[in-house]
Amino acid sequence: MWILDSVYRGRVELWEKDGTVKNVRCEYDPPFYLHLPDPHPHHDMIGALESEYRAEECTFRTIFGDLTGYKVFAGRPVAEAIEQQTQYEAQLFNVDVRIDQRFMAERGIFPCGAERESRFSPDVPYDLHRMEIRITGNPARSPVCSGIDVIHEHTERLHGAERDVLADLFSLVTSCDPDVILMPDADTWMPKLQEQARASDLEMPFSRTGKYRKMDARSYWSYGRVEHKESALIPDGRILIDTEQSFVYREGGLAGVLMAARLSGLSPNLASRFTPGTLISSYEMYEAVRRGIVVPFRKSDAESVRRFAELRAADRGGMMFQPAPGVCWDVDEIDFTSLYPSIIVQANLSPETIEHPERRGFLPEVLDPLLGLRIRTKQMKKSDPRYAGIDSILKWMLVTCFGYTGYKNAKFGRIEVHEGITGRSRDILMRTKDIAEAMGFCVLHGIVDCLWVQGSPIGALKDRVKQETGLSTEVEHFDWIVFLPQNDGSGSYNRYFGRLSDGSVKVRGIAARRHDTPEYIRAMQREMLTVMAGAATVAELGTAHDQARTIYRRYAQNLPRADLVAMAISRRISRLTYAHRCIEGAAVNAYRKAGIAVAPGMKISYVVRDARKYQVDPAWSAGSFDVRYYRELLDKAWGEISYAFTSGGSDRVEAAESNAKQKTDDKDRCRHDNNACPLCR
Amino acid sequence: MRIELSAGITLQSGTFNAVIAPEKVIVSALNSHADLQRFLFLFVCGNYSRILSGINRTSGNFEVRRAFTAHQLFTILKEAGHTIVLVEHDPTMFDGAENMITPVSGALKDVGREALLILYSPTPDRAFSALIRQADRIFQIAASDERAYRPHRGTRSYRTGSPLPPAQTTLEVS
Repeated sequence: MWILDSVYRGRVELWEKDGTVKNVRCEYDPPFYLHLPDPHPHHDMIGALESEYRAEECTFRTIFGDLTGYKVFAGRPVAEAIEQQTQYEAQLFNVDVRIDQRFMAERGIFPCGAERESRFSPDVPYDLHRMEIRITGNPARSPVCSGIDVIHEHTERLHGAERDVLADLFSLVTSCDPDVILMPDADTWMPKLQEQARASDLEMPFSRTGKYRKMDARSYWSYGRVEHKESALIPDGRILIDTEQSFVYREGGLAGVLMAARLSGLSPNLASRFTPGTLISSYEMYEAVRRGIVVPFRKSDAESVRRFAELRAADRGGMMFQPAPGVCWDVDEIDFTSLYPSIIVQANLSPETIEHPERRGFLPEVLDPLLGLRIRTKQMKKSDPRYAGIDSILKWMLVTCFGYTGYKNAKFGRIEVHEGITGRSRDILMRTKDIAEAMGFCVLHGIVDCLWVQGSPIGALKDRVKQETGLSTEVEHFDWIVFLPQNDGSGSYNRYFGRLSDGSVKVRGIAARRHDTPEYIRAMQREMLTVMAGAATVAELGTAHDQARTIYRRYAQNLPRADLVAMAISRRISRLTYAHRCIEGAAVNAYRKAGIAVAPGMKISYVVRDARKYQVDPAWSAGSFDVRYYRELLDKAWGEISYAFTSGGSDRVEAAESNAKQKTDDKDRCRHDNNACPLCR
Repeated sequence: MRIELSAGITLQSGTFNAVIAPEKVIVSALNSHADLQRFLFLFVCGNYSRILSGINRTSGNFEVRRAFTAHQLFTILKEAGHTIVLVEHDPTMFDGAENMITPVSGALKDVGREALLILYSPTPDRAFSALIRQADRIFQIAASDERAYRPHRGTRSYRTGSPLPPAQTTLEVS
């Protein structure tokens, strides 16, 4: 039984793929659980629950231990009424667990896998008939679709009158009967297709039952920025993935979506539309139900009372070591594999182990197999790129599992766990730094879970760190690396680029990496980095200066004649009203004028026509651009690259060319005053 | 037990006080009253506090609890047995939990019967305006540079100039 899709409509419906796809319907009416710290004042309410609905006395298991109470065979409205009637004294469980997910968890079955398979196997075998549908035009602006490419066994191009195109598309979908439809901007197109189908008296065949589930549009905060999710029409019995908007698909491809579905116990249609945070939360809920542990409805267990000084000491986040800006060479980046989840597992950190550290905690228990799987896929992807997508999804799920311990909606989170993780990570990074320095390495930089060091042998350091901390690390060797300065001249924590030993260039925080960089400027930096990648040593890097400058001059000269498309700036908007005039606010207004509804978190694309007058055009309607404004962006991007050759770097590059082996120069170049550093000594 | 919030503005125990003031006013009031350290003091905030890092109290009587959801805030208020309870308002707690405004407001009122309860916000918003309906006293303190202080105009009651909550007994603005 390979479950392709699941939904609850009064009963659980599963779509099983076994050669053909069949729909299995199961009666399932699960209860929620109720615990009253003092049940006597609520005698009447309990009586009413027993008579009106089915309520039975029982004992159930929470992560903190067993509770006595009732299982009530009713839905969420009854649970909310109980909350109000008991003045929020009642503790409720399993009220908002998805019923189809709960059904599968209780039976130990899961989507996208056969019964005897392990959910934690890195291999996700599937035999799914795929179809890709690409509709021409911008879904936000095009009221009709007059051109569609359909890619299945071969590619078909449909064009003509709207009704004919739709009829042809629907006919193709019906005849091919794909299990998976990949469609860029599917969630924006689907309501339009549905509307057009109704107007043309056609039946939309994407759903295998003719029914569609609707997910509402929403804007939400995620990692300090506003994101927007379009509403979605989800078909029954078939996987429809919005390849443009799905984070999970973008990161992990179809294999990543299927892995996310089997781990979280959610239909792949949902798994492709959820964030990694929701996926890890769903995974924890599935695991809880599978283990017979109830899931709390409300997060009402607040932080315990803290002394002020104690709180200040505990709540400090991750450790960072600031680098000295400049060029360094023969640098190794030593990076802990999934540090925070490893700490949760190793240190047994879970809400219930704060008071009872002797117990094995729920979080470490459920994260352990996920972490083991990630460590395997991280190794496997080095020799087989097919595992890269799955590895990426696991990475994101594990990254967010830490954040969720301190998140308000986390079912199994608690702020003390969050602080415990960051506290231990600080200790680990400090200990690693001490180990490195004691072994004669020079620590150049450090961010939370990785250190940049100079010295050798790196293998010995890696082994020693594993031995001392019990944690696995990965090492990347840089032939040279440029740490960029901040505005005040001190080293930037997160802006650097360098050449790895395999000849590729790793960049962080510079224009080539940022999402809002116009393509023209990104292309310039990439071209420069390609030239610089040819330099295996700092001395050779110096010779790349002229070539890089030539590239800069060429791009600067050609700027006035550059393609408008390459000037588009794509940015996610965080708000709709702006207190002061700004380019982003002007772009929002330009979108509105074009008749496009904007919402916080939406990505917009615009071209700046006149920066001084805050005149901006949506990318598709731009007729000209502000050369001066884009020249500033170009110069800034060149400044990031040229830093390797000029003030921060050239002196040292020249010094390296002339006397690379002299220790006195080494000390100057290293810019550290550290007796443990082999270059400083 | 009294706290002088600002010249001529005194907060008394056994009252639920709503304070709208610039951060520096409330921080200064907390830091400048040494005798506050004699009382059992509970500071309650949300995920992000504007004033916690500015408070310079080292007394063992100064305790902190953070609430990330309205339900957690409700629990904290139910469990509070301190002489002074200062709640820094976090509107995000009530996103999607608007039904908790009334019970939390009631819990604030209950705490204010025994202790000195201060609900603080630098600017009023919709949730804050609903929470202070049962407040005994409401104080709005403007910044010394009036032009620099622009009260939030996002709530309907302020925009339309609708009357202040019926439960208030005084309104003091300096």
